[in-house]
Amino acid sequence: MPDHKEWYKLDLSAIVYPTLQRRDFSSTYRLSVLLKEEVDPDLLQQAVDVTLPRFPTYKAAIRKGLFWRYLEPNDRPGPFVTPDVKNPCQPMSFKANNRYLLRVYYYHNRISLEAHHSLGDGTGGMCVLMTMTAEYLRLLGHTEIQNGGFVLDVNEKPDPEELEDAYMRYANSKICPPRPGEKTYRIRGTKEPFYTLNIIDGIMSTSEVAAVSKRYQCSITEYFNAVLLYALLKKQAKDKRFHVKPVRIAMPVNLRRFFPSKTLRNFITMIYPGVDPRLGEYTFEEIVAQVHHYMRYYVNDKFLRADITTNARTQSHPLIRVVPLFLKDFVVRQFYTKVQDRNSSAGLTNMGALNVHESMRPYIERIDICMGQPFSSRTNCAIISFGDVLTVNFASSIVEADVERYFFRKLVKDGIHVKVESNREIPEASES
Amino acid sequence: MSYCVNCGVELDATAKNCPLCNTPVINPNEIKKDNLIPPFPKEKAQVEEIQRADFGWLVSMVCLATAVTCGILNWLAFRHNLWSLAVIGACVLLWVILVPAAIYPKLTPYLYILLDGAAMALYLYLIARMIDKYHWLWGLGLPLVVCTTVVVELFAVAIRKFLKGILARGLYFFTALAILCVSYEIVIDLFRDVPVGLGWSAVVLTVCVIMDIAIITTLSRRRLRNEVRRRLHF
Repeated sequence: MPDHKEWYKLDLSAIVYPTLQRRDFSSTYRLSVLLKEEVDPDLLQQAVDVTLPRFPTYKAAIRKGLFWRYLEPNDRPGPFVTPDVKNPCQPMSFKANNRYLLRVYYYHNRISLEAHHSLGDGTGGMCVLMTMTAEYLRLLGHTEIQNGGFVLDVNEKPDPEELEDAYMRYANSKICPPRPGEKTYRIRGTKEPFYTLNIIDGIMSTSEVAAVSKRYQCSITEYFNAVLLYALLKKQAKDKRFHVKPVRIAMPVNLRRFFPSKTLRNFITMIYPGVDPRLGEYTFEEIVAQVHHYMRYYVNDKFLRADITTNARTQSHPLIRVVPLFLKDFVVRQFYTKVQDRNSSAGLTNMGALNVHESMRPYIERIDICMGQPFSSRTNCAIISFGDVLTVNFASSIVEADVERYFFRKLVKDGIHVKVESNREIPEASES
Repeated sequence: MSYCVNCGVELDATAKNCPLCNTPVINPNEIKKDNLIPPFPKEKAQVEEIQRADFGWLVSMVCLATAVTCGILNWLAFRHNLWSLAVIGACVLLWVILVPAAIYPKLTPYLYILLDGAAMALYLYLIARMIDKYHWLWGLGLPLVVCTTVVVELFAVAIRKFLKGILARGLYFFTALAILCVSYEIVIDLFRDVPVGLGWSAVVLTVCVIMDIAIITTLSRRRLRNEVRRRLHF
């Protein structure tokens, strides 16, 4: 019997991402680890080659069937380690790069992994990256590094639970709540040309952010949500729109916190905290309260189970299952463009505090995350912390950085020291 | 270390401007920045190319097999006329349209259009040879192919060299359509040996001129242009 299955069904979330694929858009995300020494690309390539077979759903290619897409093991050479680029999260064609849906980059002391969302979510990707980094450090001679946390043992066989579609195990609620479908504020901006993704990283102290959040009596995630909503409200006010619209954030929730699963594939669902400025002007404290109560009300196993049941029922409906793939693609793309994408003004994800084994901690300086290119002209915000270093990453394909500016200025105003790094090209004219 | 005077954030040591508000960094104490490593590389990536050589080989083999077998059949079995020329011509046309662009995607598109035009002309010639009548080829077939190739080449030049965007493409499309229809009608009139004049192509020309004027108006007004772009983006 073969070690692994010969093909894998796409999980409930992964079904959607390939349908959104365009010439200039792919649902890719990037995870980076900054080490304390320069990266050796040859050793990194060896680490990739050793690590990837441990993750069969990542060493895979996506294929089209008549009714659904699926993943099949990819034994072609690669993926190959390459020098990093200025414009990360480039569209990832399913047929290029030897059909791998992964890219590994290095830049001085930084190792970056880009993965297509069809393979898995940030937690799965982080397992791949940290296992690869641990293997790289071991090849460098740091043999004391142990497995644990996000680092898996490359010599053991994958646990079947790591490869499961965990949605199907927990999608058993008795009711299916309707999906939210109200149109929200959309950022107006000048679209950057193809191949441009503007990144702004804000680096700050986790303890400072925790102290400020405590002052507002909320969690760190709630605080950042509130600041982003505040920035979006300010941006909408600056736009001087005739019809003011609600402002809402699409935020993925890691379902592993509520439903035990070791899956390395997608296991997230979206929630939409927001405020409606048509009701009146919100102070920042009121936004915090709104987000805080929304999260406490919706983020629990009951609501989340019902939410994934809605999606699972749609997918498993007999009439939908027999529809050919090209029709499904058309309908899903239309639904996403007309409803789902308009349902939120920006995206925000918080991967939280990253835990690695104590033996690995001394070699890591920082960990970064990038949600990748937004589907429409807006900005995506991703947060991660490692030790006392917290990184807030903004990725957008528009020229204007208004939302980012309001966001970071608010943090500075709240007393948080922020260091900003960016790949933005400033026009020569504005430099003078 | 430098801070943005507007935003209050600390800036990376290699930053020349604040990425949030574009305010220039002027710190007399930190002039030499040449040895510092910027947080992001300078090289930009391009999307990886898809290897379509297998597809090219498959199409080549299918076209070759079809052309050769039909040629042999025509030569040995069904010998009443040169019917295989139509099949061989169709294979050549299909090959020229599909294969060069698949195998050599880096060649200039003008060359592909020219090759497609030449393949179409060859196909018409083979049909004329098959039926052994050439007057329609010189009077109608080839002039139409030449007109189409020239207009498509001009359309490609306009799209690649001049204004870009969905509105500009619409403008070029309607202009090309109008030129194409007018030239078709002139060629047909000349072939039929009737006085040259605008008939059905005048209707197309009118519609295209109206569309062009609407697009030019939209392009010249920034607010309108942005609104249309927002609504028509894909």
